Order: sequence, then C-alpha cells, then structure tokens
Amino acid sequence: MNLAIKNITTGYGKTPVISNISLTVGPGRICALMGRNGSGKTTLLRCINGVLPVFEGNIRVMGKEIQKLGRAQVARMISVVPQTHFSPFSFSCMDMVLMAGAARIKAWSAPSGKEKQKALETMAETGIDHMAKRPFNSLSGGERQLVMLARGLFQDTPVMLLDEPNSHLDFANQHKIMALMQQVTRKRNMTVVITLHDPNLAYYYCDDVILIHKGRVKAAGKTCTTLTNDVLSAVLGDNIQCDETKKGVFVVIPKHIPQKMN
Amino acid sequence: MMMIFWNIRVPRVILTIFIGAGISTAGAVFQALFRNPLAAPDILGVTSGSGFGAALAIMFLTPLAFVIQINAFIFGIIAVTLAYILASLSQDSSPSVLVISGIVISAIFQAGLSFIMYMANPYDQLAQIVFWTMGSFNTASWVKVQGAVPVLIPGIILMIIFSWPLNIMTQGEEDAMSMGIHVVRWRIFYVLVSTLMVATSVSLVGNVAWIGLIVPHIARYLSGSEHRRLLPMTAILGGLFLMIMDTLARSVMLSEIPISIVTSIFGAPFLGYLVVSAGKTRRII
Repeated sequence: MNLAIKNITTGYGKTPVISNISLTVGPGRICALMGRNGSGKTTLLRCINGVLPVFEGNIRVMGKEIQKLGRAQVARMISVVPQTHFSPFSFSCMDMVLMAGAARIKAWSAPSGKEKQKALETMAETGIDHMAKRPFNSLSGGERQLVMLARGLFQDTPVMLLDEPNSHLDFANQHKIMALMQQVTRKRNMTVVITLHDPNLAYYYCDDVILIHKGRVKAAGKTCTTLTNDVLSAVLGDNIQCDETKKGVFVVIPKHIPQKMN
Repeated sequence: MMMIFWNIRVPRVILTIFIGAGISTAGAVFQALFRNPLAAPDILGVTSGSGFGAALAIMFLTPLAFVIQINAFIFGIIAVTLAYILASLSQDSSPSVLVISGIVISAIFQAGLSFIMYMANPYDQLAQIVFWTMGSFNTASWVKVQGAVPVLIPGIILMIIFSWPLNIMTQGEEDAMSMGIHVVRWRIFYVLVSTLMVATSVSLVGNVAWIGLIVPHIARYLSGSEHRRLLPMTAILGGLFLMIMDTLARSVMLSEIPISIVTSIFGAPFLGYLVVSAGKTRRII
C-alpha cells in the first residue's frame, strides 16, 4: 500500500480533533474524504503531511513511517494541493511550479534546464504549458488551481493530498479538475486523498470514500457501495438522498427541494 | 584636494553603496519572509534598539563615535533577539506573531529613546541623538568602511546565494513545509544575516529610513519577483539609490541634511504611488 494510516489520533495543541482513524489507499486509486465542516478532514490531511503531530498511531508512505522522516524526505513522498492559493508576489506560473522541486534542488542552486523542461512537461500534462510565462496572480481561479495541480505533480511523489480543490471553482472547472486528477492518478499510478463536499464528485471520480463524523470514521469503502442514503444522512445531515435520473444516472440531491417560483 | 577626495569622498561613496545595498537586500528578504510587501528591515525592532543603544551611549557613556556604534549594534541585536524570544513563547509559529513581537519590542525601545531624549542636555546631547536617529554619512571614513564591508559583503553574497528558497518561503509556512523547506531553520538564517547587516549599517551611520522598503519594489518592477534575479537587482539599485540620496543630502543646501529626511522625501511619495498603482495592476502589493 502506498499510504497506510493506523489508528491515528491528532489535533491542535493537546486537544484531539480526530481519533483512532485508519485507512489504506493503494496505487492508482483516489480516496475521497467526506464530512461536514469541522469534522476533521483537513486536520487529517495536515497530519498525514506531518504538519500536525501524531498523538497516537502511525502513518506509513511506501512502508516508511512519516513521523520519523525529515521535511525534505516527507516532501519526496507527499505533495499537497491547497484549497486556494494567493501569492503575495507575482511569480510566473513556471516559477510557481518549479518551487515544488525544493526537495530535490540544493538551496544554493537553482532549477536546472532539465528541471525546467520537466516542469514544462508537467504543465503540458495539465494543459497549461502555454501559461508558463504568465503571472500567477493574473490567472482565474480555475487556471490557478491547474497551476497548483501541476506544482503538486512536479513534486513527483507517490502520494498526493488535495484539500477541497474545487471549493472556489465553477461547475465546469470542478469536473475538469476531477477528470484530470482521475487521469493522472491512473497514468502515474499514484495514491490520491482528496477532501470533497459534493458526494456526486466523489461517486464519479473517486474509487474509495471515507466519511468522517465528529473526528471519527463513520463509514469507509468503495464509493459505489458506501454512498448510501443511510450513510450520507448519518454524516451529512437529514436533508440528503441518493436518486437516479431518468437515464439511470446516480445523483445525490437534497431531500427537500424548494418549489420553483415560476 | 586629493586628500579630501581619497579620505572623505571615496570612503563616503563606498559606504553609501554598501549600506544602501545591504539595507535594501535585507528589506527584500524581510518582505519575502513575512509575505508582506510593506515589511521593512527594521520590522523586528533593530532600528529602535540601535537608536536606544546609541542614545544611551551619548547620554551616559561617552560622545566617542566608536563606543556609540558598538552600543548601537549591541542593542540592535538585543532588540531582535528579544522579539524572537517573545515570539517563541507563543504556541503560534506564524510570521505574524514575530511581527507583533517586533512591534512590541520596538515600542519599548522607542519609549526608552524618547525618555533619554527628554532627559538629554538640549545643547549638546539632544542634538547629537536627534542627528543620529535621522542618520548621516558626514562622518564616513575608511575605518567605517572597514567596519561595514566585512559584514555587508558576505551578508549580501550569502543572501544572493541562498535566494531560491526565499521564493518558496513567500508561499506561506505550510506550503513551504509541504515542498520540503525547513521553515523555522531558514527563517532564523535569513533573519540573523539580515539583522546583522541592518544593525551594522545603523550603528555606523544611524537610521536610514525608507530605503529598505522602497528599493525592493523598484527592483521588482525591473526584474520580477523571482529572488535569484530580484536580490542582485535590489543590491545594485540600493547602492546607487543611497549614493544619489547622500549626494543630494550634502549638496542641495549649504549645510548637510540628515539622510533619512532625503530618503523620506523621495520614499513616502513613492509608497503613495505604489498604493495607488497596486489597485490597478496588482503587480506589487
């Protein structure tokens, strides 16, 4: 298993936020982390990335215990794509992507021509190589997220964590990012853990799902079998139901839909 | 004539170039570290600490320049160290805590400086303290060049050599960590070297206002934000800018004007221009 988490408890200061969570995700698979606001999804991602301390349990990536590794070693194992990103200074998209090479590039050095070529190829993978010289801060939200995704891929790690990458994106861009993630996950055979709020995105683009409620795992398994009315109601609240469209497509919608005005 | 040129003019020009380059480079580094385009190299209290140290020496020790410089340097370092210790007592390791600690320490030393000025003899000590706090290169000499160069040249070179991780530090603590940067270790390194450069400069010529804030912005317009290009550009522009300002300071009036007055006259309107233009282009702030 690329990522194996065993009975971890973590939190802020000395207060545990999530308790006794275990999960394993294999190569070439996307695992969705779902739960209400404040349930502990982001806390779990931060713990996996070594930003928060592990109170109990252990996290292994490719068999190595994360808590025992230095920052650069962790960065060679795990990349992170944040929810939103603002850069206080306007770097070019190429410079933004190249930063993810920090774990490979010596501090007194600079990215070599080979690294720059690799960065350009990674940007081509996410369809943004034509933006290489454009200032990052001049891009739209969707374009920025693609740059952040390219940066994560350039880090070239077996595990990638994405924290609500769709939260500020329009409908089309949400699906674009998710489809791209699905494609690169298969192609690179990497392990992806992604926090999501929309069960539909989890159902269509993720292989596995873990539903967290009040810091504990409420349900876990393959998305097609785990996302049921009972589980979703227990985790996301009563006003939710699984349904099918006339064409037989699975959808998750609110149980109580207000009547249209017209 | 030649003696004035070699013993007064040349060391003065060299001193302005290196101090301008050093303070400006430190400014660019601090702006990156604190992810704040308005951060100045004295954000952690080095200038207030040095001012207090200099005033203390003028008031209670001796009017000898060498003693004043040493005292200013020591108190500049003490101020930053206290700011760092105060910040480390907090559980929050974000740069904003360090900035707030710097403001606290700065305020305390500023109050101390004001108290000494209040108590000082208005006929000699007060004038000396006021002149020191506004900075001047009129006492520039080869001895001062010898005091500045061994700190400023290695400091600027070190910052330029290790400029690439600064790009990553601008992305925020957690993002930088995720990309493999040991944030705390690098922050200590950059703060230490920058503080040494600023404390050395301030102890030799007094406070030089604005330059550490505005020169990195001018350089950013010319070279972009990538620090491997930005820091050398900042150092060159900083040196030239301060040399020109000092030439103005000693030549526009019959008597010499303190350097901070000249740099402020040019610096403050430029900052105003930045604030106005930032809304249109988002390039700087």
